[in-house]
Amino acid sequence: MKNTTRTSPAMIGARTMLLASALAASTAFAQGAAAPATDGFGGAGALNMPIPPAAKLVAITHATILTASHGTILDGTIIIRDGKIAQVGTKLAAPAGAQVIDATGKFVTPGIIDAHSHSSLQGVNESSSSITSQVNIGDAFREDGLTLYRQLAGGVTAANVLHGSANTIGGQNLTVKMRFGLPVDSMKFDKAPPGIKFALGENVRQTNGAQPGRTPRYPRTRMGVEELLRDAFTRAQEYQAEWKEYDKAKAALKKGQAEPIPPRRDIQLDPLVEILEGKRLVHAHSYRSDEILMLLKVAKDFGFRVASLQHVLEGYKIADEIAAANTGASTFADEWAYKLEAWDAIAFNASLMAERGVKVSINSDSDERARRLYQDAAKAMHYGNTSEEEALKMITLNAAWQLGVDKYTGSIDVGKDADIAIFTAHPFSPAARVDMTLIDGRVYFDRKTSPSLEALLQATKKTRAMGDGGNF
Amino acid sequence: MAHSMNRAMFTALVTLLPATLVAQSTPNAPKPLTDSYVIRNATVVPVVGPRIDKGTVVIVGGKITAVSASAPTPAGATVIDGTGLFIYPGFIDSGTKLGLSEIESVPGGEDKVEIGQFNPHDVALTAVNSHSELIPVARYNGITSVITAPEGGLISGTASLMDLTGWTGDQMSIKTRAALVVNYPRVAGGRRGGGGGRGGPAADGGDAVNQGVTQLRDYFTNAKSYADIKAKLAAGGAGKQKIDQAMEAMIPFVRGELPVIFDAESAAQIRGALAFGDEFKLKIVIRGAAEAWQLADTLAARKVPVIVGPTYAEPSASSAYDEIYANPGVLARAGVQIAFQTTGASNVRDLPFEVGITEAFGLDADKALEAITINPARIWGVGDKYGSIEVGKVANVFVSTGDPLDPRSHVKYLFIRGELIPLVDRHTKLYEEFKARPKPTPAVKKP
Repeated sequence: MKNTTRTSPAMIGARTMLLASALAASTAFAQGAAAPATDGFGGAGALNMPIPPAAKLVAITHATILTASHGTILDGTIIIRDGKIAQVGTKLAAPAGAQVIDATGKFVTPGIIDAHSHSSLQGVNESSSSITSQVNIGDAFREDGLTLYRQLAGGVTAANVLHGSANTIGGQNLTVKMRFGLPVDSMKFDKAPPGIKFALGENVRQTNGAQPGRTPRYPRTRMGVEELLRDAFTRAQEYQAEWKEYDKAKAALKKGQAEPIPPRRDIQLDPLVEILEGKRLVHAHSYRSDEILMLLKVAKDFGFRVASLQHVLEGYKIADEIAAANTGASTFADEWAYKLEAWDAIAFNASLMAERGVKVSINSDSDERARRLYQDAAKAMHYGNTSEEEALKMITLNAAWQLGVDKYTGSIDVGKDADIAIFTAHPFSPAARVDMTLIDGRVYFDRKTSPSLEALLQATKKTRAMGDGGNF
Repeated sequence: MAHSMNRAMFTALVTLLPATLVAQSTPNAPKPLTDSYVIRNATVVPVVGPRIDKGTVVIVGGKITAVSASAPTPAGATVIDGTGLFIYPGFIDSGTKLGLSEIESVPGGEDKVEIGQFNPHDVALTAVNSHSELIPVARYNGITSVITAPEGGLISGTASLMDLTGWTGDQMSIKTRAALVVNYPRVAGGRRGGGGGRGGPAADGGDAVNQGVTQLRDYFTNAKSYADIKAKLAAGGAGKQKIDQAMEAMIPFVRGELPVIFDAESAAQIRGALAFGDEFKLKIVIRGAAEAWQLADTLAARKVPVIVGPTYAEPSASSAYDEIYANPGVLARAGVQIAFQTTGASNVRDLPFEVGITEAFGLDADKALEAITINPARIWGVGDKYGSIEVGKVANVFVSTGDPLDPRSHVKYLFIRGELIPLVDRHTKLYEEFKARPKPTPAVKKP
């Protein structure tokens, strides 16, 4: 099946809601902390932020540019034309009519890419069965999750939105650009190849989720996980063969002969066939080295590549095997000890895997961590002495490669989308916060106009001065 | 292993130092287990007082004995060349579960939550596993002392202040009874992204909060009566009172001798905790405190210390996107005495980075350092012994390649109570082990 993404009623509903909440939230910022907490979506402040239209020409000038692909440029200029990076270098004059962003004293990096996100979702796991390749996370994605704005404020411009880890095969992913404020269809990263979430280990076995009285579900062991995978791909191969046979018969059809009857369409197996054909990227939640090796073996046997191992906390133990499989590794900066399979997780994981030739990214897997991935990347320098550029790649170019979008984003290079974060200081230093975030050359976050705590305090002072009392 | 360094470790560590820098070591003689160290030519950041460029710190017998531009080397002391390096007082985390939790999802190792609403007599140190694998991991980034405490209920228990070294809990202890932990009741779903968050058992509405506060008030009233009767009996009054373990534990807190921590996140909770503290004349500390910025002036004027954190947390849906990061700066600028907590067990090592991230959002760099050194030392009543590099203080000191709040820096040497502790933990050991793994051969022949 060629196209398994679709627009769902849920998405349309979310779009209508944005309009409604944008109206309702027009005074939300002024209400500030007194506004009641909602369901975690929407909320105060950010929703009524107007997004300035994209300028045809943008020039970011006098910046320290960390390119993530070819070193650092001092006092550099980036010229953006129609949302694409047109020129990068020193001593470039801003073209006439360009929107000029003076970045004197500031640091510019590629927009941060989060290779593992569950943000702004109305549901994460379809837990009824362990193979749910037919479901698509796009159906659960909402454009109005406040977290999307907060992640923009942390420099994030793209994310790999995934199902949870309850199932061996969890479902189809959604790669988004964080175009917060636009309708949900505009957030899809159109050029991104489709992907799918796999999961191994404790969560799939439901070790920690097993409730007394609840019907146990297969698999209960890591052996069962392998069995399910092999069974699914065996079925997919047979299904693929049926279609090939049909296509062949159709092609050989002579005049007057009866049309061959196509095989029955199977929406669970269609995405698996895409995997076998190299058209869908596998992102596999994994922890222990044994289960990772199992998956790499299954992939080899069925002739597909695993695009990224997610979490991959014991990846450092088998870094050579991962590198040999041309598989990316997307890990946490320093999370560990929260469950048994995270007991051998070490903060040196990212560095050691990178040293052994694995393309490593550092992901968030959390609305909270997604806002500070720039600091998490610096931890790769702290634990294991990864170089500055390699550490930056771990939240930009390498993540883009894992999601199959490195041709379009992930570094400051001519021809790429102008997905850019501007920091007040070196992004790895304690003095750094995001000043501006651009996607396709358009400013989606600007600290100066953002509803920050400082702005809230100033507004409150004014309210008090006017004798309105205020909330506090 | 949280215990101090043995001879083998010492030898291993000293051999890492350039030979010329290890003074007083004669060839062929076994290296003495010394209790004297001199760190020379480093930038000393005493926290209290100005920085000293090219300064010297001398440690003898577990104490800091000299801090100056130059000091003589005591006989037998190990000399560490601090050229290009920085000396800081050890960091103090004002809220952890260290020693009470090992692998979170494995119940056998979890001693964080006791049954029941009122457990003032449960003292954290009783259950601290001195040999937790998590303790050396915490030390790795310069954390030398922590508050550790149980959670849950309305009164979770008594928090302990401990150094991160020692063969037993008693050896680790700085103050076995450091503070009482009270969860101020909250309305359900209020904090931290609408998911509930910490700070008191969730209640469905105002009435339930009132009920929680009333229960607390009842308990503190009883405790105060118990303490008063006990005082009168001690002064020779007639009558008697049955001994009650929980009430005994409450005495120093209701008498205002030791601090009472109120875990409270929202402004409403903080206001409630302040009023509660007034009512019972408690020495109160507010902890968590995400919305404390709304009450910054009040907290400063009343000199109520505030423990913020974790800063690795999300603001509520209704607040500013940078509330958690900007809160410490607002408080410090208003003159509030602040400190930090990480709250967990496995990543106490993140303390400097959880503080560092708030600098860009308005926390002054010097105030940031004070908040994890001298401020917590004073808040927990040990400001005369801990929290700065001053002569006579306990030698909890580390040497860093740069600003320790910047993840690009590394801690090179760490001293707790004057002992040089190797920066070896579960992570470094596995790292070294697998760094040395040979490349796998293409085809492994089976026997």
